[in-house]
Amino acid sequence: MRDTVLLLAMNGLIWGLIIALIALGLSVIFGLLDIINIAHGDFFMVGTVLAWFSLSATGNFWIGFIVAPLIGFILGAIIQRLVIQPIHGAAALSIVATFGLSLILQETVRITFGATPRRMLAPIHGTIPLFGVDYEIYRLFAAGVALVALAGFFLFLQHTKLGIWMRAVRHDRETAVAMGIPAQRVYVLTFGVGFALAAFGGAVAAPITTVDFRGGVDVLPFCFMAVIIGGLGNLPGTVAAAVLLAFLEGLIQSVADPTMARISSLVLMSAVLLLRPQGLFKGFAR
Amino acid sequence: MTRRSLEIGLAAGAVTFLITAPWLIPALTDNFWVSVITEILIWSLFAASVNLLFGYVGLLSFGQALYFGFGMYGVALGIDHLGLSFWPAFGLGIISAMAMALVSGIFAVRLSWHYFAIITVVFSLIFYFLAVSMKPLTGGDDGINFSLPPVFRLGGRVWSLTDPTFQYFFVLAVVSLCLFLMHRVINSPLGKGFLAIRDNDLRASLIGLNVYVLRLIAFVMAGFLAGVSGALFALFGRYASATYMFYQVSGEAVVWTIVGGAGTMFGPVVGTALFIVIREIVSSHWEHHSLIVGLLAILAVIFAPKGIVGVWNGWMTRLGERDAAASARPQLKLQADHE
Repeated sequence: MRDTVLLLAMNGLIWGLIIALIALGLSVIFGLLDIINIAHGDFFMVGTVLAWFSLSATGNFWIGFIVAPLIGFILGAIIQRLVIQPIHGAAALSIVATFGLSLILQETVRITFGATPRRMLAPIHGTIPLFGVDYEIYRLFAAGVALVALAGFFLFLQHTKLGIWMRAVRHDRETAVAMGIPAQRVYVLTFGVGFALAAFGGAVAAPITTVDFRGGVDVLPFCFMAVIIGGLGNLPGTVAAAVLLAFLEGLIQSVADPTMARISSLVLMSAVLLLRPQGLFKGFAR
Repeated sequence: MTRRSLEIGLAAGAVTFLITAPWLIPALTDNFWVSVITEILIWSLFAASVNLLFGYVGLLSFGQALYFGFGMYGVALGIDHLGLSFWPAFGLGIISAMAMALVSGIFAVRLSWHYFAIITVVFSLIFYFLAVSMKPLTGGDDGINFSLPPVFRLGGRVWSLTDPTFQYFFVLAVVSLCLFLMHRVINSPLGKGFLAIRDNDLRASLIGLNVYVLRLIAFVMAGFLAGVSGALFALFGRYASATYMFYQVSGEAVVWTIVGGAGTMFGPVVGTALFIVIREIVSSHWEHHSLIVGLLAILAVIFAPKGIVGVWNGWMTRLGERDAAASARPQLKLQADHE
């Protein structure tokens, strides 16, 4: 019993770190472009599929870690320019447009990759004993990679020109444009970065979950929960909420079935929306 | 041709088509299209519930599938578990949908915009997962099948939805009645209140409208429309399933509404018909028809953000202005002569 609890809690923690990456992408797009991105789960799914293709094409798993975010970034930038920009941030229209996008991405993957879910072998095999349970090494490795990527993203936001531009446009678009920041280009790049984060999360998660054209459908509500519970636009809050939610779901799963775990986090999310719409971690970081 | 005569002609054509469809369609093509039209009518009503909230009150609900599902399960469980006859089961479906809308509306309409869209989808997800996990009651993803009780008996004759023509007219009558009721509500003082909130909720509250109560009324009304469509769909398919409560079903209705034209009476009908007809035509030849649906949704919001009916209304207004200008010109000339 103790072993199962520990195992599920740790699985939850690690899954939470990967979800945090994806949710961060969603939050950045949400905060900067003010659109509800229904296709974000599919960005993650595209990442898992890209990892699968690059493994089967080259035989090297690690290439996927570069290919997935790179292609994700390019696709995101193209999508922003072709689909998101013409609708000028109208939230209702953005829901329809990204819903269409989600259908197109899923169907394209179904044509090229096939409809059958596949499993990908982890590049690092074996288990190590951890707190008395034998734990898969790849999962620990994935958690480490996700942590490094999260830290890298926050460094990018703080210290690079694009990162500072992104924060400036989010903070006050008018002033940012007046100061000479090319807002349109920032939007294109932001959408690319959002897609790249989700796709990278997909590449990291591919050996843990299954690679499936419908793989994003379950991930999307989870990411929205993390963004809301963490507080809209509060990026560290999003990360904390993702980890907390996945950890709690893992804990609940050890005593009840996964559906019950999902229902309890949804109830938690409704409570947050109604009682603290600014998120659980308001004041925790800005 | 003037705007009015064009619109009257179009409406007369549509009504004639709908009334003669059960005989016209078998003569022209496959019988199967009668059931497609029946399905379009049912889903149009579902889209109308999204439209009532978004197009007339300015609340984008992404969880209408919840009330559709309650209407569906109300009918299916009423017939299958409680042994109810037709009308009580139909009523149970509608009432449970409205009750659910009232309970969730009390919480949801306090929020607006993004937060409203998200809380409605969260509520629908909670009940979707509950329905999936309560397999003995709901049948989960597999759903439950039931057999139809007769609609009514008159003398020795039994009328039942197993007769496709009777089923078609039953659905047509119920859907027309609901859309007519919606039309009456929107043109009533209550409907004017809805529009005032849509355009500017702060100003609406300042002129003394109770924004919270009006939004709640609209939310329950939308729950009614979704519940009726869910009940009809359960009767149409003799089947209820948790899959119809998933957020993608709600999302489709939002797409149909916006592509057809939100805030117009017939926009959702046009959008629904367009997408279902495309699905039926393309899916028999090519299994990847979602690609076309997705592309169409994107093209529609980029090139016709007001929807198909919105574009049509724009043309009609311009036509009307041209007519008015044509009839006003002699008068202008007369005035000029005077001077």
